Amino acid sequence: MSRLPIQPGELLDRDTVVRFSFQGRSIEAFAGDTFGSALYASGRTLLSRSFKYHRPRGILCCRGHCANCMMTVDGTPNVRVCETPVRDGAVVEGQNVIGSLDRDLFSVVDKVGGPFTPVGFYYRTMIRPRRLWPLYERFLRNAAGLGKVPERDPHNRYDVEHREARVLVVGGGRAGREAAAEHAVAGPGVVLVDELPELGGLELPGVEVLAPARAIGVWEGGLVPVEHGNLLLRYRAQHLVVATGTIDQPLVFPGNDLVGVMLPGAVERLVERYAVKPGERAVVIAADDAADRARAALDQAGIEIVSTVRLTDGRTPAVAANGRKGQVRSVTVDGRTVDCDLVVMSGGRQPAYSLLAMAGAKVEYDAARGVLVPAAIPDGISATGSVTGAVGEQAVPAASYTAARSGKCFVCVCEDVTTKDVKRAVAEGFDSIELAKRYTTVTMGPCQGRYCHVQSIRLYAQETGADEAAVGATTARPPWTPVSMGLLAGRHLEPMKRSSLHHRHEESGASLIWAGAWKRPYAYGDVEQEVRAVHEDLGVIDVSTLGKLLVQGPDAAEFLERLYPNRFGDMKPGRIRYGVLTTDAGRIMDDGTVARLAEDSYYVTTTSTGADAVNGWFEWWNAIWGYDVEIANVTGALAAVNVAGPRAREALSALTDAPVSNDAISYLDAKELAVAGVTCLVLRIGFVGELGYELHCPSPAAEHLWDAIVSQGAVPFGLEPQRVLRLEKAHVIVGQDTDSESNLISAGMPWIAKLDKDDWVGKRATQLVQAAGVRECLVGFEMENGKLPAEGGQVVENGRPAGRVTSARRSAVLGKNIGLAWVRSEAAEEGTRIQIRVDGRPEPATVRHGAFYDPEGTRLRS
Amino acid sequence: MISPAFLSPDRCEPSVRLVSPLERALTGIDPGRVRDRSHVGKLEVRGDVASLEPAPGDRFHRIGPRHGLYVHEGPTAELRDSLTARGYAVIDQTGAYAAFEVHGADVLRRLTDLDLEALPAAGLVARVRGIVTRADGGAFVVYVAQEHGHYACEAVLDALEGLGR
Repeated sequence: MSRLPIQPGELLDRDTVVRFSFQGRSIEAFAGDTFGSALYASGRTLLSRSFKYHRPRGILCCRGHCANCMMTVDGTPNVRVCETPVRDGAVVEGQNVIGSLDRDLFSVVDKVGGPFTPVGFYYRTMIRPRRLWPLYERFLRNAAGLGKVPERDPHNRYDVEHREARVLVVGGGRAGREAAAEHAVAGPGVVLVDELPELGGLELPGVEVLAPARAIGVWEGGLVPVEHGNLLLRYRAQHLVVATGTIDQPLVFPGNDLVGVMLPGAVERLVERYAVKPGERAVVIAADDAADRARAALDQAGIEIVSTVRLTDGRTPAVAANGRKGQVRSVTVDGRTVDCDLVVMSGGRQPAYSLLAMAGAKVEYDAARGVLVPAAIPDGISATGSVTGAVGEQAVPAASYTAARSGKCFVCVCEDVTTKDVKRAVAEGFDSIELAKRYTTVTMGPCQGRYCHVQSIRLYAQETGADEAAVGATTARPPWTPVSMGLLAGRHLEPMKRSSLHHRHEESGASLIWAGAWKRPYAYGDVEQEVRAVHEDLGVIDVSTLGKLLVQGPDAAEFLERLYPNRFGDMKPGRIRYGVLTTDAGRIMDDGTVARLAEDSYYVTTTSTGADAVNGWFEWWNAIWGYDVEIANVTGALAAVNVAGPRAREALSALTDAPVSNDAISYLDAKELAVAGVTCLVLRIGFVGELGYELHCPSPAAEHLWDAIVSQGAVPFGLEPQRVLRLEKAHVIVGQDTDSESNLISAGMPWIAKLDKDDWVGKRATQLVQAAGVRECLVGFEMENGKLPAEGGQVVENGRPAGRVTSARRSAVLGKNIGLAWVRSEAAEEGTRIQIRVDGRPEPATVRHGAFYDPEGTRLRS
Repeated sequence: MISPAFLSPDRCEPSVRLVSPLERALTGIDPGRVRDRSHVGKLEVRGDVASLEPAPGDRFHRIGPRHGLYVHEGPTAELRDSLTARGYAVIDQTGAYAAFEVHGADVLRRLTDLDLEALPAAGLVARVRGIVTRADGGAFVVYVAQEHGHYACEAVLDALEGLGR
């Protein structure tokens, strides 16, 4: 191997020397080289170890398509070095080896493992004993595969960009360039992408040229993502032109994977683009005109062609490449051996139709030329050039050219699938090409079938006795080219909802947790202290996350009457009622409060996660009923805080000039007030069981209001104290204590279902449930021995599951562990003793109805 | 539909400091990169909006057959009354939206697949719902729910960093 003198058309800038390291050795290259070409020029031809057998591998395609040159560059695994430009100071390493590329301990699998590792062996031989599977899996993952993602090194930055094009041309060969130029005449918006870097500087008038850039696939709606460095360009084009050309096909014979066995295009690129002499003595084996094509490059490089084997006469000679230490040393054809260090093999050219197939084109087998060609190309897409099937005359290669002597004969070099593997799969009954593909993994490697699809079909046809057209092609699926997970993931964007008071919580040292899409304070410190503050003094919690809807219009009352099981038409303006929404099937979907602001105006709150669903539910029913009602989602426009505790009235009084006595704002009153100068809707409700006011105000004013309340001595409390406080009142959290099967009767809320009302959503279903009775009920419970069950824990009877715990907490004020649970209806009576599994053991508990704390609601109404 | 007083920040007393949802996210950020526009009045207007012409200096972004966002610098009390008197249903959504101005279609292309040649448009921006409009000088103004404002600004700043700006 050596560097050739300056070649016409070479990509090298010989005035600019670039150095990188490979296995601790400094490699000198020229700007314009790839890592692969530079390594070859330096004499380094073994670049990787194969997936399963750890066989030595070198350049096969020199197009960045196969796995043969995958190495780790600067910590990034699976870099195809044959097409990756060199960069100064880079560190290049081999991968998938134990030891080194030259001495890989796992290469023993190739020497002795064959009989023990037939296709699909891990499905059969490593399944027992089951408990050892994690061990097997770890072993297999270490033994086979590609590079490893570095866990500690910083990962690359990947971005995603959405783009539109009038015409997107994929493929920058002659046909692609001509198509782009033709479309550019009609106007702007033409983009040409090509995978090879040399088109990077191409200037086509009116055409944006992107190279190197790869179309990953074609998705619905004409989406064509294009990999362009670390940028994923998500193109949507009005018209897609596929000009992806053809792919040189390998031949199947023993030793076809040895280092030095190459496709014609690889030889041409090494010689003509990178001025690398890939060998001294070449044998050419070809089913098409590759011998003639390669001859020019071989002559140009001064490589002697010692033998040419033409497969165009229908003969099937026995061919074998022989090697030593993984390098090809000779070729034997029908018993005659010729020494060589380079084999140029060509099984013809196959149209690169995959993108067309992904877009919906049919794929047909052309028996005369032995190629798969696209047909019935969908509207909005066109194909041009040799991808259409214009590959010229070529002989149909045999399925394999196996010599009498044994030796691995690869159908798929990426996945190390041999002819023996495919034959075995057929013998085992995988009688469809799609099943055999999944079993053998042929075509599922990095080349995505470029160099094995047609070969596997031929072999399959040979083994099953069917013809290739009947065997058919496997489904083409994205990605068509290997793509890094980082590129698919793009930037790590995780939408987070922050309330208007989020930063106050952070400043107060709150521990924040995810609550649906929101980040909310779990607590600000000691949960028990926060609970105590609410019971004994004054607390404040941010409840801005509640859904908030305005329902206005002449028919607003009737509209709500038909939506909710209980009544809202008889409410006086300024009053509030609790409301539970049910589905048509009578299942509980959400809950909240409904305040009547005026005769024709209601303010509805929902659960934090239910705002959008309830808004959609309201809009949907109104579209059906056609009431004169406007529904507005004002969730984000308003912040809300709940001020609760015995001192709540005193604090409110200090912040407003308006009267706030129990007469002025009684329990379940709604009033507009200015609090600390902030216009608020004050709702006197009590989710946490103490005298409390929920203040709803414009979001931008929330911090001002919060600060004013805290200045009155209110202790901020988080979600966890709130959960304790509401559980003491046995208040249900929809979605936690109820599920998609829960109804008003079973959840202990029959009082809310006004069955004497005219129809409401879920009425009929509720009537049926009431008539039939329920099998299980939601009840409160107290633990008898101080044990605290887990939420989701089991209620058990005679050791068998008989219910589930939905909420459980320690109540310091009660000195008990309490909770809510679904139990069989027979066990739902007040005082019934039940058992709940705690740490695997059944522990006694007693069923309780109603609130655990202040059951009469005296404190709420005080 | 009448917008209740407790929805409108401009009904608060002047001593009340109104805080933008983007205030912390954009602290120390050059307004030339991302400019906070959350303070502008934003009214959701419903009715026969096809014929609604905004006053000079105002903008009206029609985002549905009978639905649009009226943007007005400063307090919106008079405007609310005026629009209501003209028969429109008006909801003060000033506090509901965070808004920011950013230059460069390339930034927007990293955040949304909306057609930037057909604005205003509503869709996903940085994976959350938003409205993208054009402003003077080739800038874009993006409206997102105020609770997503801080996050959206982080996404925009990250996209700008990716573009080296």
